[in-house]
Amino acid sequence: MIDWSAFFVVLVATVVAASAVVTLYSLGLRLVDRSGDRPAAWQRPLGIACFVACGLVVLYGVYLVIPYFHR
Amino acid sequence: MVALVIVLALFFDFTNGFHDTANAMATPIATGALKPKAAVAIAATLNLVGAFLSTEVARTISGGLIREGDGGIQITPVMIFAGLIGATLWNMVTWFLGLPSSSSHALFGGLIGAAIVGAGFGSVDFSVLLSKVVFPALLAPLTAGLVAYIAVKIAYAVTKKRQRNGFKHGQVFTSSLVSLAHGTNDAQKTMGVITLTLIAGGFQATGSGPEFWVIAVCALAIALGTYTGGWRIIRTMGKGLTEIEPGQGFAAEASTAATILASSHLGFALSTTQVSSGSVIGTGIGRKGASVRWRTAGRIALGWLITIPAAAAVGALAALVALSGTVGVVVDTIVAVGVIVGIFVYARRNRVDARNVHDEPTVLVRPKRSRKQQKQDEKALRQNGGTK
Repeated sequence: MIDWSAFFVVLVATVVAASAVVTLYSLGLRLVDRSGDRPAAWQRPLGIACFVACGLVVLYGVYLVIPYFHR
Repeated sequence: MVALVIVLALFFDFTNGFHDTANAMATPIATGALKPKAAVAIAATLNLVGAFLSTEVARTISGGLIREGDGGIQITPVMIFAGLIGATLWNMVTWFLGLPSSSSHALFGGLIGAAIVGAGFGSVDFSVLLSKVVFPALLAPLTAGLVAYIAVKIAYAVTKKRQRNGFKHGQVFTSSLVSLAHGTNDAQKTMGVITLTLIAGGFQATGSGPEFWVIAVCALAIALGTYTGGWRIIRTMGKGLTEIEPGQGFAAEASTAATILASSHLGFALSTTQVSSGSVIGTGIGRKGASVRWRTAGRIALGWLITIPAAAAVGALAALVALSGTVGVVVDTIVAVGVIVGIFVYARRNRVDARNVHDEPTVLVRPKRSRKQQKQDEKALRQNGGTK
């Protein structure tokens, strides 16, 4: 009666997607922060890369929302 | 009759809009990531855009809940009218109480009530009701809550305390995504109702899509409703359930967006309202030092539980009156307008708007309490380490 396998797929996809967005954004925040004790030179670019990656995940979300793109 | 249904459907769309502003915008408003007015303006714009982006309307009004079409019953404009009265009135009541409840459930409930009166118990497919509405309603907040719990744990493990204000910027994007997703889903319900009414009334060919003016007015009605802002519900969601920090807000919206997108694309539809309430509670459990006000959560859950029966009862009553003929429809209309205006007028007595949306929602969810009780509650709240 209730489609448990579909539900399970949704659950896994949701956990993966939400964790990815939050992890990337949090890492970005941590790496970009300059108020701490002298960050290494590689930290800032990597932090920005995290933000960009997070933005891409969100853009994929926008892509999914708009039916025009995938018909 | 058809004109009356269209007007009522648009008003339902409007209540849908202001009911659901909270889903996307309660958390950014609560954390101060967006100013209240700016938040509702963004939500309204995205709902407007979203409504135009996706105009695939359902072929059945009730999504299989009512045995429509071949071999089933014919849903008449009068029944749709009665169903909409049930849905709209229930939306008004829950708005007044500040309860985030699902507008789709209210619509289903109203239609079920009207169909039972109009065509008997056999017209409702109760197994579909159970598998498409009742179980998902239980699973939605649990799923979102679990995901949000994980998300907030990650967010607080990775970042240091001083960095967490940065989540505010992220919140703008995640809440916008929730808004857009909402816009592409919810205006479609009303478009579907209007289009099917036009078809039933013989104004449009069977199986054709919505007319442009239908799309336009539905989009405008939901955007206007969103902009008006259901401040009462925003306050419940943003302040009533738990204290929300930026990191939590970001985690909650990311979870809400992920859950809605995944569920609508992988074929297991979940209600936006229930998902976002679940997310907020999940982040409240997940963050150390935050406490969840389970009494408020319980009240919301109770609201979900009775949404369908309550809307069905009103819908059934309205159908009973409306099916008696033209006089009945007129009586229904007058009573419905009277109740709606009455609730608006009564609500002015403790107004909630952009200015006092940050206040504690003590008066809100329980409007009728004595002064003394209120003081006791506030004291209890402080002792729980509740507020600032």
